[in-house]
Amino acid sequence: MAHFTCEVVYRGIFQKNLAARICRGIVLSARKAGRWGIAFGRYGDSPQRNGIPAKDFAIVADTQEELEQNMARYEPKEVDVTICVDDTLSKGVESWAWYGLQPINRLTTPNGTLLMTSLQSPTELLKDIHKKEAPYNLALIPAKASFSGLWVYKEDHTEARILGALAKIQPGFLSLDAVCAAIQEAEWGSELKAASARKAFERLESRPVKITEGNAETPFSFEKPKWWEMREGVSIPAIPIGKPMEGGKGYVPERNPYFKKFTTRTMRPVIDFDKCVKCTLCWIQCPDSCFDVTPDGLYDANMESCCGCGVCEAVCPAKDCVTMVREDAFEDNASQYEMWRRDKPAYVKWMGDKIASKEHVVRSHGFRFRGQYAEEIKQELEQGGIEITAGIPGENAAGKLR
Amino acid sequence: MAEAFANATQILEPFRGVKKVTIEEYFTSGHRTCQGCESALVMKLMVKAAGPRTIVLGATGCMYVANTTYYTTPWVVPWMHTQLGSSGSAALGTAAGLKALMKKGKMKSEPINVIAFCGDGGGADMGLGAISATLTHKEYNSLILMYDNESYANTDIQLSGSTPYGANTTFSPPGTLKRIIHTRWKKNMAGMLAAGHPECRYVATVDASYAVEMMNKVRKALSIGGPTFIHSLDPCPKGWDYDPMLSHELGELAVECGVFPLYEVEDGVVRHYGKTKAIVEGRPRKPVREYLLKQGRFAHFTEEDLEYFQSKVDEMWDKWEIPGVIPFRRAAAGK
Amino acid sequence: MAVETKTPAGTTASDDREMLISGSEACAEALTLADLDVVTAYPIRPYDTVMQAIAKKIANGQLEAEYIVAEGEHSQFEIVKHASTVGARVFCGSSGVGWMYAMECLTVTPPLRVPMVCMVGNRALDDPGAFGVEHNDALTVRDLGWLLIWVDTAQEMLDTTLLAYRIAEDRRVFLPIAISADGAFLTHSQAIVQVPSRAKVDKFLPPYNRGDLLLHPDNPITVAPQANEDWVIEIRRQNNEAMNRAYTVIEEAYADFRKTFGRGPENPWFEEYMTEDAEVILMGMGTISLPFKVGIRNMRAKGMKVGLIRPRWFRPFPTEKMVTALQGAKAIGVIDRDYSFGSPFGSGVVANEIRAAMYNADKRPPLLSFICGLGGREVTLEDVYKATDLCFEAAKTGKSPLKTQWLGVRE
Repeated sequence: MAHFTCEVVYRGIFQKNLAARICRGIVLSARKAGRWGIAFGRYGDSPQRNGIPAKDFAIVADTQEELEQNMARYEPKEVDVTICVDDTLSKGVESWAWYGLQPINRLTTPNGTLLMTSLQSPTELLKDIHKKEAPYNLALIPAKASFSGLWVYKEDHTEARILGALAKIQPGFLSLDAVCAAIQEAEWGSELKAASARKAFERLESRPVKITEGNAETPFSFEKPKWWEMREGVSIPAIPIGKPMEGGKGYVPERNPYFKKFTTRTMRPVIDFDKCVKCTLCWIQCPDSCFDVTPDGLYDANMESCCGCGVCEAVCPAKDCVTMVREDAFEDNASQYEMWRRDKPAYVKWMGDKIASKEHVVRSHGFRFRGQYAEEIKQELEQGGIEITAGIPGENAAGKLR
Repeated sequence: MAEAFANATQILEPFRGVKKVTIEEYFTSGHRTCQGCESALVMKLMVKAAGPRTIVLGATGCMYVANTTYYTTPWVVPWMHTQLGSSGSAALGTAAGLKALMKKGKMKSEPINVIAFCGDGGGADMGLGAISATLTHKEYNSLILMYDNESYANTDIQLSGSTPYGANTTFSPPGTLKRIIHTRWKKNMAGMLAAGHPECRYVATVDASYAVEMMNKVRKALSIGGPTFIHSLDPCPKGWDYDPMLSHELGELAVECGVFPLYEVEDGVVRHYGKTKAIVEGRPRKPVREYLLKQGRFAHFTEEDLEYFQSKVDEMWDKWEIPGVIPFRRAAAGK
Repeated sequence: MAVETKTPAGTTASDDREMLISGSEACAEALTLADLDVVTAYPIRPYDTVMQAIAKKIANGQLEAEYIVAEGEHSQFEIVKHASTVGARVFCGSSGVGWMYAMECLTVTPPLRVPMVCMVGNRALDDPGAFGVEHNDALTVRDLGWLLIWVDTAQEMLDTTLLAYRIAEDRRVFLPIAISADGAFLTHSQAIVQVPSRAKVDKFLPPYNRGDLLLHPDNPITVAPQANEDWVIEIRRQNNEAMNRAYTVIEEAYADFRKTFGRGPENPWFEEYMTEDAEVILMGMGTISLPFKVGIRNMRAKGMKVGLIRPRWFRPFPTEKMVTALQGAKAIGVIDRDYSFGSPFGSGVVANEIRAAMYNADKRPPLLSFICGLGGREVTLEDVYKATDLCFEAAKTGKSPLKTQWLGVRE
């Protein structure tokens, strides 16, 4: 008797279809060897919200009886493999109020595997990934996070490559042939996708992570009140009105302490305060009320409540005043305004570094126009990087030679 | 004995320019809405316009489930949930309760804004009857605001009576045999309610991409007295399927393409405003394809579908007695 | 039409007025005395007679309240729910399928802790559309946190309405109450009723104070946000606690009522009639008690030891007291004016509640279940005698016939 449990941690809506494909693929691959399985999304995440971290699960077992031990659950207690399809989730996830910041490897079983799609190195990633009490393996598929939306899907082979990698990690449950067969049978499958799976299998990079490695910060958490401590009538206190920032000037709204929302963010606004024309548009158009008004009439995005939608960049009339930059370029949620007024030249240099790096400012965040995903995939083919069969996005050099 | 009671409203003068907008937030962070959620923005602007002496009632929908989950409230002003079809009843009941207590001297007499909001599912579908009833109770001051993201966005994007023709939803998926499942044209809520409730003093359409105008419509609706209605079109990155960064742009395109006309009906007088006014005065509309092709929910549209959509929008402007407001036209002379 | 009669000589000590009024009008009198703030109406027989009476009082200036005619029962109940959350004393009501149309709103009032008082003019559910009494309408909310009481006279309707506000608006409870009145027999027939003075009522009934749950800019709270599995069971647990606290609050309220008005039952929970030495105890809610009392007197005259228990409060259910009251009986006959198709033994709702209450009792006398008077059909003395005879047979054998008997059906 044996069973295999896997979670996919992903960005709500942006990667909903991707996660569903992966989990179905796991069960259908295992079925090839006569195993039983279930695939399900964490019920509390549904209905999902764009960007808010969500989870899907796949569990396969030798027998139906063994499978039953894992059914009628929202979330397994531990998983053999944690699949993370957006490396900005390595900073941890906060899906609900009172849920706290949960490390990406929280459910990964000792000596289990954290499988990520990322262009970062393990060393870079482990700056963000929280320390774990037990050793585990970090396996990487070199790829950018695959984002699309509910109706139009980005066929960049990510699901196939992850399934191929899983065959390497859990050969006992998913043979590479079974995975490739299941991929070809899938409504989204193809021979080329099966080839992607084989390549991912061959070239999966994995390294052990010691208990000494990782981000040492203690993630914030909450204790839920008892029934008699809760207010009656399904009522909770309102949020107090905010206060001036200092000396009776500016304004800082009070914010809900139990849900911070920043783990929803994949890109954050970097603001060039010297270019700001104080038009107020970023502040007034922000759906998350995340801008503090500074005493000198500038606007400072609070990095605990900013969810990175990018509307502020879209509405800003001043050229290069607001630039959205990928989250992995940052270490903390410190106030940019405070940095700027403390040491302007240092801030200008810091900001310059952030917005200079090409791969940090490129945006693929869902549908903008027809044919966009095909174009992006073509670019990825051309960017290439590692030698591999033609036609497979993300890690392709041969494509460039044609 | 009861102190003198006046059924007065707060007089909220329009914000003269963006710099004059209230700095305080009465709807703040903490909600679990999508990146780029325009409806969350509408909530923020709505109470910014209304100010601190306001009670907000929220019908079931995204702005309840995503916006106000237990202990995750973003509300600074008092807020209460009401049932999906009950935005009208919630506004009426809250206003009536306050009025009774103030009239009878059981509560300090002061004008308190009562705002009930609903989504298009709660407003254009289930709650239409209750909204209609409330708009006939002229002695109770309240505002009903419908945030229209054009689907039951909270329950996984199912079509509502306010979903545009042909859009992809989980209840109207384009298939191999049928490309268009949803063949109904969107309800004309503001026009219908303005036309059907002669004693309702104020009905308006708004678009949060024009924040100051939007807030000023809310302020007028709250000041004028009696029950009022505002229809807000809210781009929805989740259900419309677009990069959240484009919420603001799509809000503008909806107006510039003439899909969503901006107007107010004040004491029976219709006024187009903003970019819609310019269109009425002859500025050409942008073709609707500029709006539709930026959204994944229309990715299955063929040229034929785009033309049909354009023709229906043209009709609204060229044939309607009052362009974009009421789908009436006079019979040709002698007919 | 309410006719005021002369106060009979010798009762001058009392400042009560005596009126010839229907059960619905008696309810309206109580609402006036309770200085109701907001009331919503929608027409459906038979409860709507109370709204007609209220409308007259408002038209004649006897009652100052916001009187709103809604466009359906769903709105009718939502409107008063919201009025109550800003501190208004509210009244609502319905009958039969009207009550069902409001069902969504009936489910939300208990968790929101809204002390709404309602009158249910009990009416058969459609189809067929019938105006007569059945208790299934009010019974549909029995699991949801509503306090449910059945009355059997116009006087009891008036008294219970005052008690209902006192109990529902007690901060320890803050739950809605539905007062059930049998269609026609109570809602549409007039009787002599003692109407107390406003001064006495003010002494008995404090103003409604919403306290920390008040929805007002001076008390900024968020009410009824959406909750996931992390919170719901705790919220239900709170609701359960409020229902448990109602036992104490009800007994306090009745004791104080007797002190203030000099009438009202010692035992709030149920009426006992000739049960002291009774071998057979019959049970039934509402006006079914009246033909049964007549029948019992006739049978007593023949030396048959039979009595009646008329449950008033169905929620909260007075388990211990009821069990104790039934310990002396050799057989129990429960007459339901409701049905529960496919239930254990095919019995009505009340019979199966009594069975459940008796399960752990020391003595479990045979319990016979009867269904009778559906759709408002009159309950005859023949029905009473037949039920009683079957109970005495069971008392002899010590065995319950498991089959539920339908009385007064053409067979």
